[in-house]
Amino acid sequence: MHRYKFVLHRPLQFLPVLFGISVITFVLVRLIPGDPARVLLGTKSTPAAIAAIRAQYGLDQPIWLQYFYFLQNLAHGEMGKSILYKIDVLKLITTRIEPTLTLVLCSVLLSLVIAMPLASLAARSNGGPADHAVRFVSTFGIGFPPFWLALMLIIFFSVRLDVFPVSGYGETVVDKLYHLILPSLTIALSLSTVLIRSLRTAMIAELKGDVATAARARGMPESIVFWRHVMPNSLVPTVNLLAVNVGWLIGGTVVVESVFALPGMGQLLVRAIFSRDYMVVQGVAMVFACATVLVNFLADIVTVAIDPRVKQ
Amino acid sequence: MSEPLLSVRDLSVVFAGEDGPRTLIDSLSFDLGKGEILGLVGESGSGKSLTCRSLVRLMPSPKLAITSGTVMLDGKDLTTVSEADIREVRGRDIGMIFQNPTSHLDPLMRIGDQIAEGIRVHRGVDSKEARAVALDILAQVGFPHPARQYNGYPHEFSGGMRQRAMIGVALSCDPRILIADEPTTALDVTIQAQILRLLMDLRESRGLSVILITHDLGIVAQTCDRIAVLRQGRLLEIGDKRDVLGRPQHPYTQNLIASHPSMPERQALAVIAQEPVPLKARPLVEIDDLHVRFPVTGRGLFSGGPREFAAVKGVSLQVMPGETVGIVGESGSGKSTLARALLGLTPISEGHVTFDGADIVTERTKALRKLRRETAMVFQDPYNALNPRLTIGATLAEVLAVQESVPKERIPERIGELLDLVGLEREFASRKPLSMSGGQCQRAGIARALAVNPKLIVADECVAALDVTIQAQIVDLFRDLKQRLNLTLLFIAHDLAIVRNLCERVVVMYHGQIVEEGPTEDVFSAPREAYTQALIDAIPDIDPDKPLVSPRGGDALAEETSGLVTGEIS
Repeated sequence: MHRYKFVLHRPLQFLPVLFGISVITFVLVRLIPGDPARVLLGTKSTPAAIAAIRAQYGLDQPIWLQYFYFLQNLAHGEMGKSILYKIDVLKLITTRIEPTLTLVLCSVLLSLVIAMPLASLAARSNGGPADHAVRFVSTFGIGFPPFWLALMLIIFFSVRLDVFPVSGYGETVVDKLYHLILPSLTIALSLSTVLIRSLRTAMIAELKGDVATAARARGMPESIVFWRHVMPNSLVPTVNLLAVNVGWLIGGTVVVESVFALPGMGQLLVRAIFSRDYMVVQGVAMVFACATVLVNFLADIVTVAIDPRVKQ
Repeated sequence: MSEPLLSVRDLSVVFAGEDGPRTLIDSLSFDLGKGEILGLVGESGSGKSLTCRSLVRLMPSPKLAITSGTVMLDGKDLTTVSEADIREVRGRDIGMIFQNPTSHLDPLMRIGDQIAEGIRVHRGVDSKEARAVALDILAQVGFPHPARQYNGYPHEFSGGMRQRAMIGVALSCDPRILIADEPTTALDVTIQAQILRLLMDLRESRGLSVILITHDLGIVAQTCDRIAVLRQGRLLEIGDKRDVLGRPQHPYTQNLIASHPSMPERQALAVIAQEPVPLKARPLVEIDDLHVRFPVTGRGLFSGGPREFAAVKGVSLQVMPGETVGIVGESGSGKSTLARALLGLTPISEGHVTFDGADIVTERTKALRKLRRETAMVFQDPYNALNPRLTIGATLAEVLAVQESVPKERIPERIGELLDLVGLEREFASRKPLSMSGGQCQRAGIARALAVNPKLIVADECVAALDVTIQAQIVDLFRDLKQRLNLTLLFIAHDLAIVRNLCERVVVMYHGQIVEEGPTEDVFSAPREAYTQALIDAIPDIDPDKPLVSPRGGDALAEETSGLVTGEIS
């Protein structure tokens, strides 16, 4: 099991990465024009009130000192207090993380469920009508932005057919998943087009490749050639592509959560940005960044599990 | 030969190209007897691989089709049986092994499972029983620890063991015929000898019939019963190996035999007229106690300091101006690393390399400038070494312009001269590599090397990828150039016979060290080291009556069969 030794070593490499991410998000958030105190006070803002709020949240300190306090808080497991919600940012995030996590997971699974059969179909008919149809559809998929796709799905499934809810999130597990079907489908349709292209290309190469020829030469039927040899070998590059697309996926949840009014992190982030709630924005950005690092780490583990040649 | 097992009659294969159909295999007929090894010989493009693929209808492209003829096995014509029937024939009656086991074994699957797969599908047994059979087969093809090695992945084994695994896969369903497509071309000579021995043993123990495709007449002479010579899809000659090799009928076969770089008779102390090197001459290249080490990847935070792999360990060598030195050794012996270090392409860990008085370590800038102006390299794969988008003329002009050795207006003239030197028509200046043959490309590669006006040319396995007749032509070209231009040539090769034909002095490398060096004839006729002897013995001789010396025991064999590669870098 020495193959998996990197699982122990890798987390240490995360520390400098996370440090860099925290500096960048911290500074970038403060570069956004506007003042949280002014937004919070709205029409009631007076110079004195603004100064009081700024002092209360430490915004009157120099930026490096603010960052130092931020790190100090982080060491105690705190991310500061939300200016808008008046509660600890970490607590706020924990209440919002579940819908987003479920949404991402469902989207990835759904996109694989869509991509694998379609890519197989296209690759096996390489150049045939099925291949052209799949390529045509997936090219369209790339062209449709998720927010438009989300609206079309709502109009068709929720308004016309009335089979799925228009928006919101449920209470029970079944109800929650039921509410997530359309949002996941929105993201999965976009993501699967990328996966289909990658998988199809890899499969066509593998189908013509030496491994498949050798399998045919020992009399394996096409189904075994495909499922036992072509498919696993084609999945290796696709898993990495999926990991690279996680950043894009998170961007997708922000849009989709807003459209479907899902109480997740994406929606939280959008509101926080509008109200210049610095603490929340940098907290959510940190969580998203950590998630991206973590997903790539998981992808590495999966790659090692599928491909014994990879040594980390 | 009594009743043939497999009988091919008037087989034709046609390629439906864009500019009309092309016949790639033209009315081929031959028989294969039970327990017979038939050698299919021919150069690249002769259709020998395609013939064998056609026997089991594994066409490499959908544009290829069998247009006429029959392939009879057990009274059935394999060209007309159903798809399901031919699938039963593949693996069950006819097994196949390939030139490159690395690309043909599934990298994600344990080798034992790849053998068991066929057993499960063809015999319909459960996985436990299939595993037992697979373990037995692993032992038969020479895996010393089947139970442990069953779980190994292809990349964990050396090239020779991978080919054994491939043979195991092909034999999993007990076929009567084995088609071996250049099974040893990618292997070192000593490993090649072991694999050929294994094939012959399997023929004995299983009564297997083998069709052996090869370009090496030495291999056919040593292993086959009969030989079929193919050229451009036609069968030129077929017969008993002694008849074909001893009294070749067709001029092409005669040429093929003449081109074979076979070892001349081993004479006791062969006297070769050799020009004594003037004692006062300063060596052009001086290598002194050279070490080259590479860091081994996989360095972790907890595994201590960086680990290193020593590719060259303490080599000292002098090359005089005008000398031709051959460096031979198996893959991983450090011969290419030595050449790269000498040209300043690989960092030197320890020791000194001096080129024409300039030390690469202490006077790096000066030495590198000198090296780039006065040395050139010729590479193994001529297609990959030439820019496919540039014409040969543009490639040569580029070198001439950078070197500024000839004035701009004289460049076209110089290109013409260079092409003359390497024996290419001047019209090749406007051709691109992909429209040329391998031999023509290699000539262009040599012309590019000569464009520098080099004092030293390093040729790294530069004929390994070429057909024998072309090999012979390129070696002749080198010999000719050496004399006309007073070149110093460092010729790296794994093929001892070619080195013997071309080089005055030979250096034998093993595991990063020089084990033996001296005048070529002395080394080959009376090798002092057991390793050199083993290398020479492993070369299949074209004379069938000089049997292949069975591979030595000792360390090399032990290393090969121990199963796991030690991380050698070639």
